[in-house]
Amino acid sequence: MKLCVPGERLCSTEDCIPGTGTYLRHGCIFASLAGYVLRKNEGEELPVISVVRETEAQLLPDVGAIVTCKVTSINPRFAKVHILYVGSTPLKDRFRGTIRREDVRATEKDKVETYKSFRPGDIVLAKVISLGDVQSNYLLTTAENELGVVVAHSEAGAQMVPISWNEMQCPRTHSKEFRKVARVQPEYLQA
Amino acid sequence: MAGLELLSDQGYRLDGRKAPELRKVQARMSVFAQADGSAYLEQGNTKALAVVYGPHETRGSRSKSLHDRAVINCQYSMATFSTAERKRRPHGDRKSSEMSLHLKQTFEAAVLTQLYPRSQIDIYVKILQADGGNYSACVNAATLALVDAGIPMRDYVCACTAGFVEETPLADLCHVEESGGGTSLSLALLPRSGNIALLQMDARLHQDHLDTLIEAAMTACKGLSKVLDSVVRQHLKEVSVLTRD
Repeated sequence: MKLCVPGERLCSTEDCIPGTGTYLRHGCIFASLAGYVLRKNEGEELPVISVVRETEAQLLPDVGAIVTCKVTSINPRFAKVHILYVGSTPLKDRFRGTIRREDVRATEKDKVETYKSFRPGDIVLAKVISLGDVQSNYLLTTAENELGVVVAHSEAGAQMVPISWNEMQCPRTHSKEFRKVARVQPEYLQA
Repeated sequence: MAGLELLSDQGYRLDGRKAPELRKVQARMSVFAQADGSAYLEQGNTKALAVVYGPHETRGSRSKSLHDRAVINCQYSMATFSTAERKRRPHGDRKSSEMSLHLKQTFEAAVLTQLYPRSQIDIYVKILQADGGNYSACVNAATLALVDAGIPMRDYVCACTAGFVEETPLADLCHVEESGGGTSLSLALLPRSGNIALLQMDARLHQDHLDTLIEAAMTACKGLSKVLDSVVRQHLKEVSVLTRD
């Protein structure tokens, strides 16, 4: 595989489509990272050319990305979270996010009680809807069936088992607690 | 300029170099494991250490973040033992703030900041030994650190100083030549495109000599870019051997 450095001209736009680690200038594709040049045939007419490194650079949460976060505090109007993973890549640094009350569910948005949807310490799957402006952090939503709480601990301290879309049960005390539960895809469930 | 002959009759400078010759450049990347990117560079006797963190969430107030690109935050400081006399204020003084601002402007031109909206990239540079060309050594070390961190850039940023003595341009000035009272021009260049990222001069120079001086500095920068290029390629080969895929 060929090595390349930032600023090196790889090819022209007629031969390939630019991928990650490259940029366009005057109709030519240049590398923007130091690494290996990878040419992949994606099935379209032209191959995609990208630059890969051994150690992946820091990934940022982007609009529409599914992120894994941990709830840090709740409030009648919103829940504050720390974003830990973007997709399946762990982040080196925590990013802060907010899940507003009206973004918890898709239906009956005004009847949502954050206390019955999340608790501090829960691990939540959410989607980024906005990078936020000057005042706010990343805005997230759990208003889909596959999004919501995946791991939660009961007041007794044991990890709870989901029993419906809004309830989880503690295996030790058998008490039920309210959460906005994520419907995990069957392929991710272990037998 | 009494006593000190910056350019002898045979064309040799104080340290034995010819007029367009650069000092010896040695550099290493990934010197720190904790930082996202780091580099150590020596240009003659000038030693600079650069560390890069990021891109990460904007620290402090979010009002400093930009909605469409990343903010580059630079800090330049000199070690107290870097100069002949112990430096009392290593950072926070006016010269360091000015240097930090210049570094920030230089790298905003080269880093593809539009890929990281609402985030911050920190570049910290420290001069361990100052022997002329402090700004240039900082820029070169920071370029290597940014490449090491995997932050996308348009091109390398190479910087060099140039001076003017008896109608001859000198490349890569050392401390004695800089403080000799003559002209000293600092140039930061993106070598492949020939675009100038920063040009700084604080002395008096006749207008006719400016073109030759900029030419000399650009040639020196291009020579330096070849050295930096070989350092990066060598580092890539070493890293790939260790993590063989």
